[in-house]
Amino acid sequence: MHRAQRRLLIPAATAAAIALAFTGCSTSNFGGDSGGDGASEEGPIKIGAVLDITGVGANLGVPEQNTLNMLAEQLNEAGGIDGREVELIIKDNQSTEDGAAKATTQLIENDDVDLIIGSSRTGPSLAMRPLVEAAQVPTISVAANAAIVEGSDWVFKTAQNDLVVLERILDDAEAKGYTKVALVRDATGFGEGIADIITELGSERGITLTATESFEPSATDFTAQMTNIRAADADAVIIWGITPSAGLAQAAYVQLGVDKPVYQSHGVANDAFFEAAGPAADGVIAPMGRLLVADQLSDDDPQKAVIDQFIADYTESFDSAPSSFAGHAYDAWLVGTKAIEEAGTDPEALRDAIEATSDVVGISGIFTMTPENHSGLTADALIMALAEGGRWTLYEE
Amino acid sequence: MSYLNKAALRSKTGFWPNNRGTIIGVTLLAVVILIVPFTATPAMMNIAVFSLIFALPAIGLSLLMGLAGQVSLGQAAFFAIGAYTHAILLQKFEMPGLVAAVGGVVAAMLAALLVGLPMLRLRGHYLALATLGLGFIVMIAVREWEFTGRTTGIYGYGRPEVFGVPIDNNGLFFWFVAPFVLLGLVLALNLTRSRAGRALSAVNDSELAAESLGVNTYALRVKVFTLSAGFAGLGGVFYAYQVQIVSPQVAEFHVSVELLLMVVIGGLGSVWGAIAGAFIVELLSEGLRDLIPAIIPGATGEVQLIGYGLVLILVIILLPGGLYQVVKTAWAAITSRIAARRADATGPAGAAALPGGAADGGTGEAPTRAFGGLPGEGRSGSDANDVAATSDDDAEGSAPVPTVSTPVAAGTPILEVRGLTKRYGGVVAVDDVTLTVPAGQIMGLIGPNGAGKTTCFNMITGAIAPTSGTVSFLGSEIQGRKPHVGAEAGLTRTFQNLQVFSSTDVLGNVYMGRYRKGRAGILRGMLGLQGREQYRHEEIARDILETMQLGDVSGLAAGDLPFGRQRMMEVCRALASEPALLLLDEPMAGLSGREREMLATLLRRLRDAGLTIVLVEHDVAQVMALADSVAVLDDGVLIAHGDPESVRNDPAVIVAYLGTDAEEAEAELKELEEHA
Amino acid sequence: MTDFLQLTVAGLSQGSVYALLAVGLIATYTVRHVVNIAQGDYATLAGLGSISLVTAGVPLPVAILIALVSVTLASVLIERLVISRVKNLTTLVSIILTLGVSTLLQAIMLLVWGAEAKRLPAFPGSDLNLGGVSIRSQELWMLGALVVVGGGVLLFYEKTRWGKALRASAEQPVAARIVGISPAAASIIAFAIAGFVGAAAGVVSSPIYLSIWSGGLLLGLKGFVAAVLGGLVSFRAAIVGALLLGIIESYVAGYVASGWKDAVAFFILIIVLIIRPAGLVLRPNAVRV
Repeated sequence: MHRAQRRLLIPAATAAAIALAFTGCSTSNFGGDSGGDGASEEGPIKIGAVLDITGVGANLGVPEQNTLNMLAEQLNEAGGIDGREVELIIKDNQSTEDGAAKATTQLIENDDVDLIIGSSRTGPSLAMRPLVEAAQVPTISVAANAAIVEGSDWVFKTAQNDLVVLERILDDAEAKGYTKVALVRDATGFGEGIADIITELGSERGITLTATESFEPSATDFTAQMTNIRAADADAVIIWGITPSAGLAQAAYVQLGVDKPVYQSHGVANDAFFEAAGPAADGVIAPMGRLLVADQLSDDDPQKAVIDQFIADYTESFDSAPSSFAGHAYDAWLVGTKAIEEAGTDPEALRDAIEATSDVVGISGIFTMTPENHSGLTADALIMALAEGGRWTLYEE
Repeated sequence: MSYLNKAALRSKTGFWPNNRGTIIGVTLLAVVILIVPFTATPAMMNIAVFSLIFALPAIGLSLLMGLAGQVSLGQAAFFAIGAYTHAILLQKFEMPGLVAAVGGVVAAMLAALLVGLPMLRLRGHYLALATLGLGFIVMIAVREWEFTGRTTGIYGYGRPEVFGVPIDNNGLFFWFVAPFVLLGLVLALNLTRSRAGRALSAVNDSELAAESLGVNTYALRVKVFTLSAGFAGLGGVFYAYQVQIVSPQVAEFHVSVELLLMVVIGGLGSVWGAIAGAFIVELLSEGLRDLIPAIIPGATGEVQLIGYGLVLILVIILLPGGLYQVVKTAWAAITSRIAARRADATGPAGAAALPGGAADGGTGEAPTRAFGGLPGEGRSGSDANDVAATSDDDAEGSAPVPTVSTPVAAGTPILEVRGLTKRYGGVVAVDDVTLTVPAGQIMGLIGPNGAGKTTCFNMITGAIAPTSGTVSFLGSEIQGRKPHVGAEAGLTRTFQNLQVFSSTDVLGNVYMGRYRKGRAGILRGMLGLQGREQYRHEEIARDILETMQLGDVSGLAAGDLPFGRQRMMEVCRALASEPALLLLDEPMAGLSGREREMLATLLRRLRDAGLTIVLVEHDVAQVMALADSVAVLDDGVLIAHGDPESVRNDPAVIVAYLGTDAEEAEAELKELEEHA
Repeated sequence: MTDFLQLTVAGLSQGSVYALLAVGLIATYTVRHVVNIAQGDYATLAGLGSISLVTAGVPLPVAILIALVSVTLASVLIERLVISRVKNLTTLVSIILTLGVSTLLQAIMLLVWGAEAKRLPAFPGSDLNLGGVSIRSQELWMLGALVVVGGGVLLFYEKTRWGKALRASAEQPVAARIVGISPAAASIIAFAIAGFVGAAAGVVSSPIYLSIWSGGLLLGLKGFVAAVLGGLVSFRAAIVGALLLGIIESYVAGYVASGWKDAVAFFILIIVLIIRPAGLVLRPNAVRV
């Protein structure tokens, strides 16, 4: 064997290995269906979900995953939709934008889904948006930032808009006579733009933003940020993040001896907040859905029946109470499956049906969507809650 | 600098620019690539696409690690810079895809050049750790910078289009990436076989020897680092297209680890290995993501890491040469069995082949046909070499000598050393040595052990920097400069402790001597446009080996030669550079009587041809017989300098050299001479 | 001024963790010339392990003790099973090899403890407030651990016969043998020390910084930056460097931008490597002997 031949061995082996690895039948690798228009009208209805099951968003994604699994099971036990079984495919984006985009591509290209739910947080949801728009797959995000749905034809969301949340916070601040607030925000998509909104909404209420600090959702040490906030000239502080980071930030805030009142966002609407913040949580005020204060709702509250049923089901299945995020997933599933019931799985018809959602009573509020409003909730969906003794209580302003 | 197992690199012996293997291999791969989208399942297709994308940075890293011997733990940084630049140009500046892609690659290369200039002065593990730091800095920078979209990144720029066809599915995208991977593969393979590639591989064997032959290690490393970043940048461009978002995760450390794993699995320095490694790592990653949660219920997240960790550890412990080594060993076993069988059939003639050349002998093809791909090319160049020798084993006395350069007339100073001093802490190794070497002479440098001879040599050639003093070669001062500076001007040396390029054969070693006479750079090497030049130099190297009666072993691995012949080979290697000044550090040590004789004859004839030679020699008698002038060092001080006769009779020399008693010394010296 | 002092306190306590890890890194580097990328993972491993024990009802001191011993043994096991298996282990190979170890350890922690950050209960003691500067008792524990554990290792290496022989064993195996330490034993002792100080860093820091499966890498690398500031040989310079690094990080987070905090160490790393590889060591040659 001379050298030239010997040199062939590596390429030949590589080629053989690759050829061997690719066994299987010819399928739609050229994307026959990827336009979405070919989505099958028969066979199981495919609903994909991309959630932050691990990583910094796990406190959000895990209950969402639980909820979707539970609801899919319930639905199939009840006979599916129009006799068609519902197949739920959940993918973990590992709390990354990158992972969300990859998972979405797989759902669209490989699994050919009819509807997508997710992601749990704003950043990954934004990453999914251009993909689902290009493929024209109706998508319902369970994250908060209004930018996710702004001007989109195909993306909806079920979490309360940050705008209305901030409105509630600033209304409360105005009522208490605060004129200066400081902000400590999540550095990711969830926290982006919050400072601008506060400045804008604050100007109508005579409130100015005097300091802004930010933190990574993976952070555990907040001394630097809170030291600066301690020195800031403010009457109240808004901490805008998700758990556990927002809870740890709260703990650092109290530990450093800052005694100004704190507002948090709807990102802390779960018990994990109390685990992270400990006793430092007491006194925090946060706008959120009614789920966490369900036991304190009056019996004539239109959402009470739905919420109580959900809490009972979830607690039975998972031995723990659901968080607001579980509620966002419930709402996404509710809005999505209702629309499929009405319009089937043709993407445009489905999209139009979601846009026609009207007075659907969910966990986070009562949804009414339009082609212009893909968020569907108003400020009424929020109540103000006060952290007291390790739980949220309904807070009367 | 080379890390892991040098044996893994050994097959570079065969990397003369014969492209047949590459052509067949690439064609095979191209066929596979054509077929794959029709046969693969969607999940497999997804793996295949990412394998191709990651193969690009892996090829780059493989060049950097295998060729330049540098480990980068920050390859993801350049991958990310390529991806971000591409995405930003598309999204924010709405540039055409092609422009944006070129922008991505250029940005990655520029960044590499910028950081490579200072960082590549670092050695080994320091460089690895500095690149690791760089990776983190880039990740944090893109995460914090408004322009790069902070934590969310850049998205919404759409899919590529080729001639109006949108590349919006995995099948087409696979074909979209494939030509670039194939092209990258060919360029990288060409580079490993090129002048620059051989130089880098020589640097891995012996940096000092390579630099002493004129290789500017630092410049080459910077170039390969930049090139490697270009590959990474191109991978990033495709990644951005495929994933449709570029977020800080592309710069994360685990991406660098994945790339490192691909190269380590594939086998260092093997470009094919990098591609195989990319595929294996992607497959492993996807497979484990499915497998682990099935074994361990509730396992979520980056569970594939367990496989990465295990594989990385196991490969380094059990298979330091990676896949490449496995395939090569298996192939060698097969071919040797076939050769043995043929040898049985053809009788003793076949069995008489040299041990290392068994494979060549088996086919009955003469070793000189190694570059048979382009007949005639090999000869064309040798005409230009007017004094070049043709082999004539029987009449060594009349055989032509290798070409030397004679930049100055005989007798005029070619090397001037003034006040050369080296101190190590409080110890003075060489003390204020001043010496002039006239051109066209043989000068002997002698002295007892530890007199500072080799230190002197090292300072003259640039291996170490003097504490003070000047070294002027052909009128320009070269003290403190790297060895390649002197080498480029025609100053070449051999080593007391042999510095053989063990990853190549004897011919390859001597070919490296031709480095300073070559011109082809990395670009020409990659494009495969240097065959003519390389054939010419290779032919000259072969002729020199014939002159020195090493022609019969030219195809053997250099490390397998007996000691004496290795020394002769080093002399050949030095002569191949057509030096003006040859510094020989104990060239006679370990040679047989006949070899000494031959070498002495050769040195005299080289001197007659105009070459200036300085030799350090332990064998005083040899020096006295050979040299035109002799310098004596004792304890770092030059105590005598003159013609052999006067030095021999210099009482100071006798005392210093052999002891306190002059007469006894005289007797000993005589005895030594007689003994020789 | 209060803020400045507050940031300094935060930096010092963070720096004490880096310092302990740097001590572990130098312990193995001086003996084996191994740069152990998995050093930081020892810390998370000990943190998570002790958290599990405390959750299971084991008293805190006992849990910590068990974690320290187990991680020390784990480090020795790694030395025996992985590090010692490679012949001619260069520093460069050791980096790649221990990168594999680190990745494997992280994956195991992910599978055993899950993806979420966990916290060990704070050690006993009450927080102080000195003129507006709030100091957590845990921060004093961290500095205390540095003084006791880090100082102990330093004294062992610099003052005892065994310690000196250990340091010498990398360059002069013969000298080490004379004292009765084989190179293999020296390597085991070095890894045991590295495991112990890493574990100590992990348990004292967990109440403040929490323990998460993936956290060790960055922590270990910061420790490495500190070790480089000590020229990879000087414990004292590395400890000073680690505390400085912690403080600088804290100032950057407070006065520049918190997001850039983690980049500081790597800028320092690259600059130091290029400009002054001997780090903060004043007389490089004197230390190397």
